[in-house]
Amino acid sequence: MATFLARRLLWFIPVLFVVALITFVLMKAAPGGPWDRDAESKQVDPRTMELLARKYGLDKPAWRQFIGYLVGDFDDEGQFVCGAVCGNLGPSYRQRGKTVQQILFEPPPEKGFFDSKFGHTARLAVLALVIALAVGIPAGVFSALKQNSWLDYALTFITNIGIAVPSFVVAFFSILIFAVGLKWMPVVQKSWAGLTPFIIPAIVFGFGTMAQTARLMRSTMLDVMRQDYVRTARAKGLGEQAVIWKHMLRNALIPIITTLGPAVAGLLTGSIVIENIFGVPGVGRDFIQSIGNRDYSMIMGTTLFYVILILLGNLSVDLLYGVVDPRIRVD
Amino acid sequence: MSRKTFFTMSGIVAAASMLLAACAQPVAPAQPQVIKETVEVVKEVEKVVEKTVVVEATPVPAEKPKVLRINLGTYPDVIDPQKSSFVNEIAHLKLIYEGLTRLNEKLETVPGAAEKWEYNADATELTFTLRKGLKYSDGTPLNAKRFEYSIIRNINPATAGEYASITNEIAGAPEWQGAEKDEDKAKFEEQVRQSVQALDSSGQPCKDYEQEDCLTLKLKLSKPAPYFHTVMSLWVTYPAKQENIEEGGENWWNSSKFHIGNGPFILKSLEPFVKGVFVPNPNYWGDIPKVSIEYQYITDSNVAFQAYKNDEFDIVGLAAEDYQAVMADPELSKQATIYPGSCTLALQFRNFKEPFNDPKVRAAFSYAIDRERWVKDVLQGLGSPALTWIPPGFPGYKEGETRFAYDPEMAKKMIAESSYGSVENLPTIVLTFGDTPRNRVRYEWLGARFKEVFGDALKLELKPVEPTAFTAKQKDRESDLQMFIGGWCADYPDPQNWLSVYFEGSTTFADRIGFKDEEFDKLIAQADVELDPAKRAELYQKAQDRLVDANPVAFFWHNVNAYMVKPWVKGIVTTSQDADWPGSTVPATIDIDTAMLPQ
Repeated sequence: MATFLARRLLWFIPVLFVVALITFVLMKAAPGGPWDRDAESKQVDPRTMELLARKYGLDKPAWRQFIGYLVGDFDDEGQFVCGAVCGNLGPSYRQRGKTVQQILFEPPPEKGFFDSKFGHTARLAVLALVIALAVGIPAGVFSALKQNSWLDYALTFITNIGIAVPSFVVAFFSILIFAVGLKWMPVVQKSWAGLTPFIIPAIVFGFGTMAQTARLMRSTMLDVMRQDYVRTARAKGLGEQAVIWKHMLRNALIPIITTLGPAVAGLLTGSIVIENIFGVPGVGRDFIQSIGNRDYSMIMGTTLFYVILILLGNLSVDLLYGVVDPRIRVD
Repeated sequence: MSRKTFFTMSGIVAAASMLLAACAQPVAPAQPQVIKETVEVVKEVEKVVEKTVVVEATPVPAEKPKVLRINLGTYPDVIDPQKSSFVNEIAHLKLIYEGLTRLNEKLETVPGAAEKWEYNADATELTFTLRKGLKYSDGTPLNAKRFEYSIIRNINPATAGEYASITNEIAGAPEWQGAEKDEDKAKFEEQVRQSVQALDSSGQPCKDYEQEDCLTLKLKLSKPAPYFHTVMSLWVTYPAKQENIEEGGENWWNSSKFHIGNGPFILKSLEPFVKGVFVPNPNYWGDIPKVSIEYQYITDSNVAFQAYKNDEFDIVGLAAEDYQAVMADPELSKQATIYPGSCTLALQFRNFKEPFNDPKVRAAFSYAIDRERWVKDVLQGLGSPALTWIPPGFPGYKEGETRFAYDPEMAKKMIAESSYGSVENLPTIVLTFGDTPRNRVRYEWLGARFKEVFGDALKLELKPVEPTAFTAKQKDRESDLQMFIGGWCADYPDPQNWLSVYFEGSTTFADRIGFKDEEFDKLIAQADVELDPAKRAELYQKAQDRLVDANPVAFFWHNVNAYMVKPWVKGIVTTSQDADWPGSTVPATIDIDTAMLPQ
């Protein structure tokens, strides 16, 4: 177990390096720089551009910028500044005065971690995941148990909507229903304290995951129901509830867990649309903006952080397999 | 079973369609009765009601707090006077701070923190006299030394502000920024410090920020610049406190406690990406605003518009996509506030590249643009056709320009007279643009119109590129760009900012399109140093006339600012410079008629 963990964690290093390299090359290949503006607005003058480039070390050769970002480089005073390996994701070129790690993780003064950008994203993602699983798994199970009943059809109809309709449409409709129509919430939240303001965005955000979970759960349950060991369990005279919850559900959960890793990572990294529409002050909005802005360190830092999240997600899934199905050994 | 299934399914479909219909209803335009009080105001009302019930003997009329709620769109990247450069950033700064001068509702430069100013005989020295007894919002004194610090901080290459070059007329400023060697840096820094000096009543350099008689600020300019007092109204000179900047570090501007200013408002709180709250500053020397201001940062214009209709905002931007629906609505159309903006856009040609090195080809394309139709069909009325450079509402605007107006016959004639002789002989012309869904529609429209005028023989290629890449190509003289739309927005209302900064032969802008015209350069060189305002205006007018004749670009359209403003917001006076929200240049006149607020 320990060697397995160690080996998997060591693998993170080459993966991160390759991702960083590809991101860097692609980023630099795209024309334009951090101080190029939207074509219809006023541009920064060339001398100032030069000053800024020098200030942020963008006048150095590309290889040195890359190494400098990952490992570190000497600043103007000859001091060594450690790079990404020390958790320093570099200064943002556009949000002047802030480092990328500050932008992502630092809460406003006198607030806790969950009020940071990533804190908001995490709150939204975790809530969305909880809602998706809490609704999706039972929905799938009942759908399968009552196959071809009206309940099954209703659930299938809803899950099909969840998969087919893009989230911005669902998000906008939910605003029209809950804010404009029912007035359960304002269209634009004035505060993001606590969990309440996150509930409706999280339902919308988790809708797709919920639908996928329900569909997958339904099909694996149907599959499991016809297995020999279920028939054996019934033949043994086990009660129906025990058959469903102990023998069927546990086996049916394995594929769900497989999708869980990417789903968690997807939720943590993919809330851009939801953040924009509901105005959630999270990471996704910044990330998308940073690409158009050519905010190099912001792009690199956020990408690396996302990669770590995905790697950790997959790793924890591998570990969870063992818990659900003792036949699967990790070593 | 199949029958049962059929019924179940049709039941679900029916239910779903009812649900959808129910959802669709609130979208229907014009339903003022749906509108309800916002959460915040409701709370206040409840409080007041409680009070009046308890203290029955003294019935105080319930004053609702006057809060102007504005959606500003994108949250600022940086709110530091000497580093900010975007409209949404400046929208914060200009509430909290004030420069030596400011603009009034007619975009004239009027006294701000300074009560008067004076140029020397050849306009190479500018002396400001500050008002006596100026205070920051926290009650501490504000003297000329504060402005000395801000102006030097703006020039200082270590600050690396994105708008640093705007004060480059100050002697030594560009040299300090360009200095490579340490001794040069020290030398030019010293020169800048000599050029920007706060002086006391006896004409001696001021000692500190407390000194009461430190009321004079003297600027030495490297060339005559009779427009420079207007530059001093810009945000780059705003006197943020040195001790706060130093205490807060590079990130000082993030906290409202360090934003102690001298403007009409105090920044009460700033919650990144959520909300910024500004309250009137009782220590402001001028008219104290009647309302508080609350900024929120919703980037999705659809959502912002819904929130506006739901009475959650008093002012939101009006997107071109919503314009028709708003205009068709009797209530909403009255709330639309549309006024000229501060930008001019032009179809630009690389004058040094074939076929646009031939003035007749440039002329042909200028004649070929149906600007009226573009404004009507493409901009949906949100813009005005342009045949000259300086937009309406700005000093130097020329009314009644007709040269190069749409004329398809002239367009064809120009091609016939050009060195190419006919449309067939023209090389392939590439029209490059930033690739956004909106632009795709716009440029396809434009391409189709060119084909209409010149016929199918015109070899025109539309080339969408990623927006930032497009900007980069525009700046790179050697890039493959041939014809593209680009524009300019005013930094300050003076013809110098339009003509000299953009089209003077040695500027980077003129160089990029390859425009250098001796006659034009001569005229603006005279105008830039002319002290007599009338003569100066005339020289700029002649220069602009010459520019239109030379036709290095085809002037295309002036932008407009379009907003929705609730009927209870009173006293808004707009200027062309209000690109953040209507009335931002003179916020003191704005009031809210609380009687009209929805219950």
